[in-house]
Amino acid sequence: MRSRRIRRARPVAVTLAVGALLLGGCSAGGGGASDDRGGGEPAEQRSPIEFADAEASTGPAEDVPGARKGGTLRVYQRDSYAHLDPAQIYVQDEMALAHLIHRKLTHVKLDNDGTYSVVGDLATDSGRPSDDGRTWTYTLKDDIRFEDGSPITSKDVRHTFERLFAPFITQGPTFVQQWMANKTGAAYRELLPDGPYEGDHLPDSVLETPDEKTIVFHFSEPRNDLPYALAMSGYAVVSAEKDTRQKYDKDPLASGPYKIESFRSGKSMKLVRNPEWDPKTDAARHQYVDGFDITFNHQYEDSTKRLLNDSGEARTAVSFTNAVDAGSYQRVMREAKDRTVSGYQSFVAQLAINTDRVEDVRVRQAIAYAFPSKPYLAPYGGPSGGELAGGLISPLLPGYEKDYDPFGKLKKPGGDPEKARELLEKAGKVGMKLTYAYRNSNEEQKASIAVADALEKAGFDVQRKELPTDTYYDLIGDVDNGYDIYVNNWGHDWSSISTVIPPLYDGREIQDGGSNYAHVDDPEINSRIDEVRGIADPEKSAKEWFELGKYILEEVTPAVPIFYYKHTQIAGSKVGGLVYNNDMSNLDVTKLYLKQ
Amino acid sequence: MLRFLMRRTLGAVVILLIISACTFFLFYAIPRDPALLHCGKTCDPESLEIIRRNLGLDKPLTEQYWAYMAGIFTGRDFAVGPCPAPCFGYSFASNEPVWGTILDRLPTTVSLALGGAVVFLLLGLGAGMLAAWRRGGFVDKFLSSVSLVLSSLQIYFVGPLAIALLVYQLDLFRQPEYVPITSSPVDWFAGLLIPWVVLSLIFTAQYTRMSRSTLIEQLGEDHVRAARAKGLSGRTVFFRYAWRGSLIPIVTIFGIDLGALFGGAMVTEFTFTLPGLGRLAVDSVLDTDLPMLMGVMLFAATMIVLFNILVDAVYALIDPRVRLS
Repeated sequence: MRSRRIRRARPVAVTLAVGALLLGGCSAGGGGASDDRGGGEPAEQRSPIEFADAEASTGPAEDVPGARKGGTLRVYQRDSYAHLDPAQIYVQDEMALAHLIHRKLTHVKLDNDGTYSVVGDLATDSGRPSDDGRTWTYTLKDDIRFEDGSPITSKDVRHTFERLFAPFITQGPTFVQQWMANKTGAAYRELLPDGPYEGDHLPDSVLETPDEKTIVFHFSEPRNDLPYALAMSGYAVVSAEKDTRQKYDKDPLASGPYKIESFRSGKSMKLVRNPEWDPKTDAARHQYVDGFDITFNHQYEDSTKRLLNDSGEARTAVSFTNAVDAGSYQRVMREAKDRTVSGYQSFVAQLAINTDRVEDVRVRQAIAYAFPSKPYLAPYGGPSGGELAGGLISPLLPGYEKDYDPFGKLKKPGGDPEKARELLEKAGKVGMKLTYAYRNSNEEQKASIAVADALEKAGFDVQRKELPTDTYYDLIGDVDNGYDIYVNNWGHDWSSISTVIPPLYDGREIQDGGSNYAHVDDPEINSRIDEVRGIADPEKSAKEWFELGKYILEEVTPAVPIFYYKHTQIAGSKVGGLVYNNDMSNLDVTKLYLKQ
Repeated sequence: MLRFLMRRTLGAVVILLIISACTFFLFYAIPRDPALLHCGKTCDPESLEIIRRNLGLDKPLTEQYWAYMAGIFTGRDFAVGPCPAPCFGYSFASNEPVWGTILDRLPTTVSLALGGAVVFLLLGLGAGMLAAWRRGGFVDKFLSSVSLVLSSLQIYFVGPLAIALLVYQLDLFRQPEYVPITSSPVDWFAGLLIPWVVLSLIFTAQYTRMSRSTLIEQLGEDHVRAARAKGLSGRTVFFRYAWRGSLIPIVTIFGIDLGALFGGAMVTEFTFTLPGLGRLAVDSVLDTDLPMLMGVMLFAATMIVLFNILVDAVYALIDPRVRLS
């Protein structure tokens, strides 16, 4: 997943947190009391999400207890939707909307008991692998239709994947395209440079659609994560007949339980029931409310105040993605905790250490010991903003071990300058100059003072370098960036460490604009990445990924874990079905209903 | 009059051309790449190149500028759709037509500006007149003090305070919002009442002080003293002679203020979550959205220039001594 860029604009907070089982602190009223970790009770170890069969993929979805039909839900959102074409959707706000209007081959379903599973959405099941995961077969359900009543066929699915190669599709996920072309970066486009629009199509050796119902993906390598990847909103179905290319982004054809009645960019959107959506074909979504009346430009402070005061229309209101603002968090938890949901987001804040410039591992370990995690988290709202991290892997991912803390970041959250100085002395680097780059946001400016102080106490000579928030990731993404340490936030794309370790620590991925921010190129890491990728058993794979993560953090130390992002939301008193969904990284928009 | 209008219009066109060129070329001096806005996960140099091509950013700057300016008069065709004249292009951020978006946001801004103007003119001029009428007395000192306090307040401070008190605490007013006057005049009025009052607070102070000082100045003028000497009543002298003479500086400032408000009251729109042109301007800067920024800048500049011409024309009506030469 792309890094989290902390700014107001829509293209930055790219997130798809695919959650896991047994989520701690993620139910209604969750959040928990704070402790020294800064964010409530730590999560338990996760198990991999199950790939469900046809029975579990059959609708209708189990009812939300107490749910009733009717009414229109008011929705306060901060940012307007820049994209409605599923192929261009890769930010959290748009993904939340996509869950209501678009359908994909698979979907991550959250049951009432908190269990997550990957089910067939348009497909009858989560997929049938063969040839060691190189071939995946999907069969479409009956009675699935677009909002205009036209049936969804394999022709539409083929068209959906072929148009992902067209030059105007630039913002959505690229996993499946890269797997199809067996290429990294943007080179996948060479497989079908114009998309399907000039008469060319993907060969049967890559994508087969032998009849109206069957879709077969062929890959050169085992792709055991395909069911997860296909659950991303970016792979939702687009009508082959009604595709209007670039214009589709403003007027897409809905396949989910709701359709767009009107959209005024930057102002408002109205969603109404899609009568062509058949609940019997959908194992995950509901159609409780008659519609959603969404307005934009509500900053977090504004939506929190409206919902907390709970008067007038705000009683029947909610925000799909706006968080409770840090300034109101204590009051919200005191006065309206029963109307809140909270949980982890997929992002982990970590300090990348440029291994090209800080070559001695003992110096990198000294930075890890000295780093003051708790003072760094404070400007982000303390417990409301996140939970202190012991490792680099999110608590949402299978394989995560809750007590893992090799550098004592949980035991000594203010940092351990003595231990750090000891290591620096051994390395003969006391007084070493460190160029620390950080964003010019309020939070980062405050945090940078604590970071510089702690590192200087340990014996470093810290030079702070403030960078513009908007271009921060582009600047630290340059291989020759000239900085020693810088924070980046990385979120997984689905419930597997395979979407974390390879993009961040595979030495073969080092390039300008790449995400290996530490420029770590360790032969052992590279070879173990290839090994673990080939493991088909999810349990074993999760364990091996986490073990590799341990090696990276303890032996190579290209980064320092700081905190796991958390998210708290509030709703009006008449809103029911409030459940935090780790897959969505916000409340589950498909379960909402209005109480009487 | 016709010659005057033609001359001023020509001048306005030159000013707008200079503003458009400055905005366009200064935009590219900012070290931010609009293509990054569209760059997904695989944001490598190849992807950026494709996006720059899609947005037309790969062409020379002068060519881009010419195409943009020509499009305003002739219209253009884009991949996302046709763009009839006046074509200000499609937003980089939302892919919406810029002109359509401006027209969509305009009613909010116009409603806010006109309603606010009515309030601050009534309160400001009324208080100024009263203070001048009672010069040196308690009323004058009281109103002058109040205007000093009001002029030191900020909308982003008074706005949230007003909502907290009047909406949440006392439940006297509705949550500020924009409802089109065509769909419900009552909701339109109720939704904008707090923004109007808060917006007008700052302007009221300014107009109170200005109208007071110009009125006092006028009351000391020869023609006013002559009117008094002729035995005219104090009220007639005040309203017919002094008040009329004091209007010119007020009309000048009012024209500029109203023109600026028509271009967008950024702080007020942000404070009250009103989707007007001011908010659009700020968003376009944050989003590195050149077409939208150009469109809003040109529209706002046109408003200011137009209102200035209008003010000059109105001078002649207010003061017969002024000739449009």
